[in-house]
Amino acid sequence: MSDLEDLKTRLKIAKSKLKNKQSENSTKKGIFLGNAFKLGTELVAAVGVGTIIGFILDNWFGTKPLLIIIFFLFGSVAGILNVFRAAKKMQNDRN
Amino acid sequence: MANPMHQFQVHKIGPKIEISGIDLSFTNASLFMLFSGITITLILFLGTREKKLIPGKMQLMSEMLYNFISKMISDTAGKKAKPYFPFIFSLFIFILACNMIGMLPYSFTVTSHIIVTLTFALFIFVGVTILGFITHGFKYLKIFVPSGVPLVLLPIISVIEIISYLSRPVSLSVRLFANMMAGHTMLKVFGGFVVSLGLIGGWLPLSFSVALTGLEILVAFLQAYVFAILTCIYLNDALNLHH
Repeated sequence: MSDLEDLKTRLKIAKSKLKNKQSENSTKKGIFLGNAFKLGTELVAAVGVGTIIGFILDNWFGTKPLLIIIFFLFGSVAGILNVFRAAKKMQNDRN
Repeated sequence: MANPMHQFQVHKIGPKIEISGIDLSFTNASLFMLFSGITITLILFLGTREKKLIPGKMQLMSEMLYNFISKMISDTAGKKAKPYFPFIFSLFIFILACNMIGMLPYSFTVTSHIIVTLTFALFIFVGVTILGFITHGFKYLKIFVPSGVPLVLLPIISVIEIISYLSRPVSLSVRLFANMMAGHTMLKVFGGFVVSLGLIGGWLPLSFSVALTGLEILVAFLQAYVFAILTCIYLNDALNLHH
């Protein structure tokens, strides 16, 4: 009888372990999907912000097309940097 | 076919209220914000009313929410961010409630308006910047100067870092707004197809609509989660300088 009780408790522990693992996996999947949503806008936002800064500075100094081009390039670099950092962070989190 | 953008129209409810030239009328957006506020309060109030050792459904739900956010903050921003738990919890749960209430038929999605999400994001951005300056003083400007950069490249790198920093509220707000708006527009377009194709051809868009509704509920949760976790990451950058 005691053997049976023992088996019962062990079965219970194993089952709860399995359950925990499954729920952990599903939350992790959700987090990955969230990260995927994150990357796209990260790139676009920096390019947009850079271009707008260039546009404002151009209006200030009256150097119409020059600064907007330069800041567009800066914005693109910043966007790529953002994505690079986010991706690096994801990799660190996984390890 | 019904206009898919009609659902995003803000209209006044009740009389026009104007204070010193600013239109402060009560709109359907305000109504649904109030509605989500009341829903959150009710759920959390009912959940924490009876503090049983073995929790009921409501208590379990509010405890799980608490644990979820608490774990997220300690994972991403560390122990120093604990005092900001109430802010992040309210932010997450309010966005989640707005997104989820937006999924109900005939309702209005508050977060599908860029002015709402941009206000959230700018509030966080300004708050985090002030916090960074309070905790680190002018050393906080170091985040624009990465270590180990040659002096020649420093002006260029700093400009890039500043643009990258300024792009935070934009990406934060545009992500939430674009996801909610695109999802709801798509649902409406497929819903319109069901009506115009009728009994014979309407089944295919209807099945798409059902699948999309499931996806949208997932997106509604995920976007609230991403918004909160990014706030934690920005908070972490302000509290622990490590560039």
